[in-house]
Amino acid sequence: MAEVRYEAASRIYPGSEIPAVNNLNLDIADGELLVLVGPSGSGKSTALRMLAGLETINKGSVFINDVDVTLKPPQDRDIAMVFQNYALYPSMTVAENMGFALKQAKVPKAERRLQVEEAARILDLEPYLDRKPKNLSGGQRQRVAMGRAIVRSPQVFLMDEPLSNLDAKLRVQTRTELADLQARLGTTMVYVTHDQVEAMTMGHRVAVLKDGLLQQVDAPRTLYNAPKNKFVAGFIGSPAMNIVDVERVDGSLKLGSVDVPLTPSLTAAVAEQASSDFSVGVRPEHIAFANDGFVGEVVVVEALGSESFVHVRTHHQGAEEMIVVREDGQSAIDRGDQVTLSITGPVHVFGSDGERLAD
Amino acid sequence: MSNAVVDREQESRVAEVKRLERREGWKRRLPILPALLFTIVVTQIPFLFTLFYSLTEWRIDKPDPETGEVPRPFIGGENYGSLWGDKFFRDAAWVSVQMTVMAVLFSLIVGTLLAILLDRKFFGQGFVRTLLITPFLVMPVVAGFMWKTQMFSSTFGVINWVIELFGFGPTEFATKYPLASVVVVLVWQWSPFMMLIVLAGLQGQDQSVLEAARVDGATSFGIFRQITFPQLRPFLELGTLLGAIYLIQVYDHIEVIVGGQPGAKNLPFYIAQRSIGGGNRFGLASSYSIIVVIASIIIANIGLRVLSNLLEDDS
Amino acid sequence: MALLTRAPKAEPILGQNRVVANLLALLTWVVGLLFFFPLFWLTLNGFKSEADANSSPKILFEPTFDRFSEVTESSTGLLSFTEAFGNSFWIVLISTVLVMTLAIPAAYALAIRPMRKWRDVLFFFISTKFLPIVGAIMPLWIIARDLDLLGTRTVLVVLYTAMNLPLAVWMLRSFFAEVPKELIEAAQIDGCSLPGQLRQVIMPIVAPGLAATALLCVIFAWNEFFLAVQLNPTGASTMPVWVNSQQKFQGQFLAGLSAASVLATFPVVIAGWVAQKRMIRGLAMGAIK
Repeated sequence: MAEVRYEAASRIYPGSEIPAVNNLNLDIADGELLVLVGPSGSGKSTALRMLAGLETINKGSVFINDVDVTLKPPQDRDIAMVFQNYALYPSMTVAENMGFALKQAKVPKAERRLQVEEAARILDLEPYLDRKPKNLSGGQRQRVAMGRAIVRSPQVFLMDEPLSNLDAKLRVQTRTELADLQARLGTTMVYVTHDQVEAMTMGHRVAVLKDGLLQQVDAPRTLYNAPKNKFVAGFIGSPAMNIVDVERVDGSLKLGSVDVPLTPSLTAAVAEQASSDFSVGVRPEHIAFANDGFVGEVVVVEALGSESFVHVRTHHQGAEEMIVVREDGQSAIDRGDQVTLSITGPVHVFGSDGERLAD
Repeated sequence: MSNAVVDREQESRVAEVKRLERREGWKRRLPILPALLFTIVVTQIPFLFTLFYSLTEWRIDKPDPETGEVPRPFIGGENYGSLWGDKFFRDAAWVSVQMTVMAVLFSLIVGTLLAILLDRKFFGQGFVRTLLITPFLVMPVVAGFMWKTQMFSSTFGVINWVIELFGFGPTEFATKYPLASVVVVLVWQWSPFMMLIVLAGLQGQDQSVLEAARVDGATSFGIFRQITFPQLRPFLELGTLLGAIYLIQVYDHIEVIVGGQPGAKNLPFYIAQRSIGGGNRFGLASSYSIIVVIASIIIANIGLRVLSNLLEDDS
Repeated sequence: MALLTRAPKAEPILGQNRVVANLLALLTWVVGLLFFFPLFWLTLNGFKSEADANSSPKILFEPTFDRFSEVTESSTGLLSFTEAFGNSFWIVLISTVLVMTLAIPAAYALAIRPMRKWRDVLFFFISTKFLPIVGAIMPLWIIARDLDLLGTRTVLVVLYTAMNLPLAVWMLRSFFAEVPKELIEAAQIDGCSLPGQLRQVIMPIVAPGLAATALLCVIFAWNEFFLAVQLNPTGASTMPVWVNSQQKFQGQFLAGLSAASVLATFPVVIAGWVAQKRMIRGLAMGAIK
């Protein structure tokens, strides 16, 4: 159990000008499950590895439980890590894999066996203790990797995309098991993923990274409702928020020929901006089919049963924009239909710099 | 925090990082030191001596009449200067080039063909493979004797016995075609080595890629040419490099099979002739050796730059 | 993931249909037999009398073990089979062990935590093989004489180790480079020290590659002739020297030489036969990278 703190931590690869992780400041509370999420190359894995001690920290520091571990090697940090490819020792059995770290710490054999069996029980691995990794399925290997981490009772768990090699169904199932496990053990966990659904469903808080820079760190709902910039807005939420570039004309923003409904404070903020370039974001569930609004043609209907996502081609500022609308699952809307859309929920406005204007 | 405190902390941190990096650097270099030191001592000392001798005149058979000792005066680059004028040196160099290129090339080709034939399931595959690798395991002197007396010999060689059946006259291959004879034996011995390397490359292929090609309608030959062969490149390059390194230095085979006939005298053999083989001009012979080293370094450098795969780092 | 599944058995890349496949199998057999033929003939000659061996090729003859017993007889003053075999055995064993002991840490250093100049170091090792030993034999001989090492096993052990070290370092480095970096990192995080990582994690993975490398070292050391005959013609002589000495200056010796050759090459041939599968697997695993 420990809190983790990144203080102005940066990682610059030799020979490169651009930092892989740029001045990261992040506080993680004891017992928290914090998710690092972002696209490829965002620096999330690098940040995790900096915490693990597998990447040199060129600037800044990292603290575990208020102890500066920046210069400490991995084995001295009391952490456990689950790798994306599991990194199981191929020549050892499951039991030996899980007991390896304890063996290095000179834990006596009997006690080692007990702890391994305990972890195996939690993860349903008892029948496989004597098997070698090559005789296990992907899901089983993943659990062995987890077991190897649990057995050590570390201060922090580090997870580097542990679910990405599982098939979709197994991934969903394991994800809830993992979150449940973390809650039960109460150990601080730093979890890296590129899948924002995983991030939203598992994390107590989610940290969004892009190009090495921390964009925003908040509880999932806050990220969803109040994204700080265009990137976070478009990254979080599936399907993605509809974001359209608009121009301020006579103090108002128009989508097509229709005015975008803004709150008074937003209208004022829009008027204050020097530039007249903005972006407007509306989530699919905040758009509905109505009689009054801006028109378009249905191109694709993704019918999921519980809901449908309707892709509508509209025209705006002389170009085509594809708007996604969330509809009732039983709706009869079909491809080719001419529809009219109106905004029924909160509108997010982003300035020319991508930052969200407060509403 | 005041700026002064921050700066001091930064400074001590930078110093600490530097100290750790230096220690890390030593930890990385340490494991290689035993091998490195051993190699340097055992190989560089003789090398330096050879270099030194190459700058002297050292005729073992001409002792000073008064002292009875052999003089070894320093003559600088004179040995090197005489090189180009030395016809025998040029011949030997040319033979070296021919022999090495042909031996490497043909054993690579034969080895690859053998690997292709072997890369399938058939009755007794393991046994045939065992037969095929054996030539590589045989002592060069034995291989040399064997081919010279039992295959090439005009009196009781098997090859002559066979071609006589077709009406061709008995030929003493070793004397009539010395270079070819040596190359044949070298290829016979080194094809298995190339075969093993190429076999390893073939077995490492991704099945799904081959299957996709079949579905796309490619012929077997087409698959080999466009998919397998490019993948084999690093293996072929490794075979070429290792083969060349060993084949440049061939000596035993030549001694045994053709023993000094002009057509098949490569540089190592010529060096031996000039020194311990009766020429007794050790200074001159040393200069030849140094030339071989320099030429090899140049060729290897060029080769390695072209074959970039061989020295790729995993990270 | 490649480490956790067996290497796929290569599908034939030529000839999908039955007839062609069978013809190719036949061709392979023929080629194999032809390739092996010289050795077969050699072995055959070992069982002939000298008269038989020195006439035009005979397939039918009366086989005899006489040549084998003749060459293995010990005569005083002459190098005996048992003596040469013993020397070769120990020299090859010790030099190979020495090579592996030196090469394994070196390969680790070059593959897993490489220093910046690792390519140059590798090139240096290889470059030591560029000097023809025929050229360097003089200084080697003088140094060996001055160190009182002429005619001893030690001098050949040292030289064979130096001879095989570059190859071993080269090959082992690429095998080590095949070990997934994450595995080493996991071991580090699990608190494993360097020798521990080597022993428990890396070795089991590179074992076939180690076997392949060791076998090659054995082959080259056992078969080495020039240094052995120049430095140890009478003391601590090895098998190649012994075989060479079966050449007599007068009389017929072909059959005897054949028998001797068979005996001399036998050990390495057996070793190669036994280890060939491991060699291929080792080479496939990562001689290239």
